[in-house]
Amino acid sequence: MAALNIMPIVRKEFRQIKRDKRILGVLLFIPAMMLFMFGYALNFDVKHTRLAVYDEEQSRLSREFIQLFFNSEYFDYVRTLQSKSEINELLDGEHVRAVLVVPSTFSKDLQKGRSTSIQVIVDGANSNAAATVLGYINAIIQQYSLKVMSQSFMRLGKQQITLPIDFEPRIWYNPELKSAKFLVPGLIAFILMVTAVVSTALSVVRERELGTMEQIMVSPIKPIEVILGKTIPYTAISLVATVMILVLGYILFDISIKGSVLLLSMVTFFFLVGGLGMGLLISTLVETQQLAFMIAVFVSMLPTFILSGFVFPIRNMPLIIQGITYLLPARYFLVALRAIILKGAGLSAFWDQAIVLCLYTVVMIGISSLRMRKILM
Amino acid sequence: MKLWERRQDEPQGISGSSEYAVVADGLTKRFGRFVAVDHASFQVKKGEVFGFLGPNGAGKSTTIRMLCGLLAPSAGSASVGGFDIAKNPDAVKERIGYMSQRFSLYEDLTVEQNINFYGGVYGLEGARLEERKRWAIEMAGLKGKENTLAHALSGGWRQRLALGCSVLHEPPILFLDEPTGGVDPVSRRNFWDLIYDLSHRGVTVFVTTHYMDEAEHCNTIGLIYGGTLIAIGSPMELKHSLDRYSVFEVACSNPVDAMELLRPQPWTAETSIFGAAFHVSTLNEPNVHMKIKRILLKEQIKTTRIEKIIPSLEDVFIHLIAEEDDRKNGKGSPRWQH
Amino acid sequence: MQDKKMLRLSIVAPILQLIILGYAASFDVSNIPMVVCDFDHSPSSRELIRSLTSTEYFTAVRYCDKTSEIDAQLDDGHASVAVVIPDGFEKDLGSGKTTPVQFIADGTETSSASIGLNYAYLIISRYSQRVVLESLIKRGSVMMPATISAEFRVWYNPELKSRNFMVPGVLGLLLMVMTMILTSLAIVKEKELGTLEQIVVTPIRPYQLIIGKLTPFFLIGIVDVVLVVFFATFIFSLPVKGSVLLLFFLCLIFLMTTLGLGLFISTISRTQQQAMMTAIFFFMLPMIFFSGFVFPIENMPKIIQYVSYLIPLRYFFVVVRGLFLKGVGLDILWPQAAAMLVFGIAILSMSVLRFQKRLG
Repeated sequence: MAALNIMPIVRKEFRQIKRDKRILGVLLFIPAMMLFMFGYALNFDVKHTRLAVYDEEQSRLSREFIQLFFNSEYFDYVRTLQSKSEINELLDGEHVRAVLVVPSTFSKDLQKGRSTSIQVIVDGANSNAAATVLGYINAIIQQYSLKVMSQSFMRLGKQQITLPIDFEPRIWYNPELKSAKFLVPGLIAFILMVTAVVSTALSVVRERELGTMEQIMVSPIKPIEVILGKTIPYTAISLVATVMILVLGYILFDISIKGSVLLLSMVTFFFLVGGLGMGLLISTLVETQQLAFMIAVFVSMLPTFILSGFVFPIRNMPLIIQGITYLLPARYFLVALRAIILKGAGLSAFWDQAIVLCLYTVVMIGISSLRMRKILM
Repeated sequence: MKLWERRQDEPQGISGSSEYAVVADGLTKRFGRFVAVDHASFQVKKGEVFGFLGPNGAGKSTTIRMLCGLLAPSAGSASVGGFDIAKNPDAVKERIGYMSQRFSLYEDLTVEQNINFYGGVYGLEGARLEERKRWAIEMAGLKGKENTLAHALSGGWRQRLALGCSVLHEPPILFLDEPTGGVDPVSRRNFWDLIYDLSHRGVTVFVTTHYMDEAEHCNTIGLIYGGTLIAIGSPMELKHSLDRYSVFEVACSNPVDAMELLRPQPWTAETSIFGAAFHVSTLNEPNVHMKIKRILLKEQIKTTRIEKIIPSLEDVFIHLIAEEDDRKNGKGSPRWQH
Repeated sequence: MQDKKMLRLSIVAPILQLIILGYAASFDVSNIPMVVCDFDHSPSSRELIRSLTSTEYFTAVRYCDKTSEIDAQLDDGHASVAVVIPDGFEKDLGSGKTTPVQFIADGTETSSASIGLNYAYLIISRYSQRVVLESLIKRGSVMMPATISAEFRVWYNPELKSRNFMVPGVLGLLLMVMTMILTSLAIVKEKELGTLEQIVVTPIRPYQLIIGKLTPFFLIGIVDVVLVVFFATFIFSLPVKGSVLLLFFLCLIFLMTTLGLGLFISTISRTQQQAMMTAIFFFMLPMIFFSGFVFPIENMPKIIQYVSYLIPLRYFFVVVRGLFLKGVGLDILWPQAAAMLVFGIAILSMSVLRFQKRLG
């Protein structure tokens, strides 16, 4: 078999990419930017929550209690309210996320050994932040409650109470609960999916739209050479972007690949090829770049972002939607990625995902090749 | 200039005959119920310039695309360079060059990069590629412009560059689909000089056009209308097909009205506007000249000139189209063929 | 706009996106799969376990008797947390000794992990508290120690449903995609095809041209608003608590900013591909991330917080949340409205000027 003549097309694609700096920018710069964003700015930890306080009692004890909240970086002090009516305005206008109301009988109750309760009003609009904030506040109050309990015991002359249960939390794989570690694998999947599908689809449709595809078809170039020639440059760039993300992730966020790099490469390669296949398939279905782009984005970027488990956990989705996620290659890829990078797991942990991924890739390549051949012949 | 290299290893194709470069036999293309090309049969001799002439939508592009392997025929067959386009498309593609009416170069690449690409696509490399590149650049007159982006070139240069790119691999047969669309007349003339040049080197050139004056440059013309090949022959032969008519060019004060007057006459065959004057073809009856003058004078139309002319290709074309229309409507004589 | 497929797409796509995002995008954490490793097998340990699993937060998926099984379960994601109760749990409780209960969380899903940990801590320390109180009662103690509890009131979204937050947010996204991106694409397409030149040659004035170009997308924007309100009210049970009229009015102002941006993008792109890439990656994505939609702004470094003040979408989200969930009026929302208006005028004028310069 004679060597495949793909170099002319590969070279041309690279030249075209180089000339249009924006594509390069998107493929290389954007992933880096997203990594930075996710690492530093975008995370789910809710810190610096704006908190206002309405202290009905204004005693030493109540002020001491309130100070507990602002000792950490979890809450930012905004204001002490003068009256209850201010609460509405503060929450309505999103000036604070929560308001603490300390009752007027706070210290009296505690001194008399009576239980008391703190009213906490939370803006539930952003439910995730609200739930987290609730959890923090609860935890702080609970801790204080236990302290008060043992203090009042001591005052009564009884021996110190020890807590019967020592709660020992252990966080695996990501001890500091850095959001970045959660998001980086998803970021890789996202980048690969988008570049593979979108670039390939656009690249082929563009030639059709401009008429240069015809010129190629008239020449002795075989369809397989066109396919390879067009996909190889984007594959290369995507892989470079992936490596870049991993390196940056290591430098900035200490994310090292716990598992096998070889396994990682193989899984990534399969996923990438599947994405390229999808891009080619899309390019055979549409005539204009506009449509190609919209379909590619709709079929790759959006689902990968929303449904693959990248940002939103799949477990929480309604069952029907969970069913849809089974159709997404990114879902399986992400499980494998997280397993390899963060958990250091081997193939045994995700072999079922790997099989589906392989299947998907083979099917995609098969269908798109058939259609491409039909078009190019 | 170097001689065009002849391929030494040219195997004998199915037709065996070495006289014809392109042979089409009943080539048909249907799109649903619409018949774009209806049983076209013709032969193109090696080394000649064959023109496919017809109005827009007549089926020229469709035919050429079938011959190049871009479109599969619905019926019929054709061989190009001795190879059947349906059975051996790859062999055909190696032997042809193609240039379409849409500008098929990469606008975002430079002149040189485009040449490199197409050269590579046809398997040229190393010294051969360099040699052909120099030839193409000189042929297109683009010396010094190698690093210009294709999209910065003006129409005439682009066509020549496209032509150069299509023959880098020195194909024996060249297909040109309306190559001079939207190009100024001077550039068109230069372009045709290039085509002649290639023809003299033994390249068979198959050209489609709707410009009548370009058709005159061809060795053989095929007239296509409504998907049907209505005439084939050399320009001279085609013009002589109107020998049974006399064609007059009439310059007068009111050509439109004059044409209206002459059309219903029993000896009038066709009338057509020709610039500021008009042509009327009549049966070869005696004294038609006088009859025309008299009729026009009766309506106070002043004639400055009535002259019998050798019919132009346009006249031929108009006649043939009108006859074809008649034939389709049920009346008229069988098709003229050389 | 003549492209039939595009038209169909621009109506179908938003609806689909809306539905899917509304249902799928949720951070609500419930039914966290848990592995239970109970080495004590006592009534007390079982009670502790029940106190964890009877809530909607945790679901026991596996009972194991080897800690190594936890590895496997967490590795392949079948479980996200695990609780380990040591042998001798009940005995220690009875004799007043402190006993450790280990709670393991898979840290790769950070939000679930931290929320899960919080819940577990709460549940277990409440259980702790209860044990202490019970033992006091048993010892016949009359004095009960004081405890502090929190009484929570969640406003606007009492069930803490993510959906209620996502759906209004999607409106902002939708409007931005449909108007900003499609506008820039349409204009650039004409630039590419050369039909823009055709129009410039006619006696049409630039501002007429601009209005003509922007109007279709303006209308699309309005249609989208109507669609979203419709779906929200009837399908997601999320009616607009505030004034619908005000919502429309503020949407119009927001549309000014997006259309202006679309116009701007069309002046800095030569090809459709460029326009698409620029619009999505350099404008839309950053705007989504930094506008407070998914990620809270309070978390970001101060510099980025300042940048977020420049993003019209940020104000729009406040408006949309306010109107859908809080039922507030212009008296509260006027700062946002004003900000959007200022931005809208600024962006539009700048883009129009640029556009005219390009044409001339």
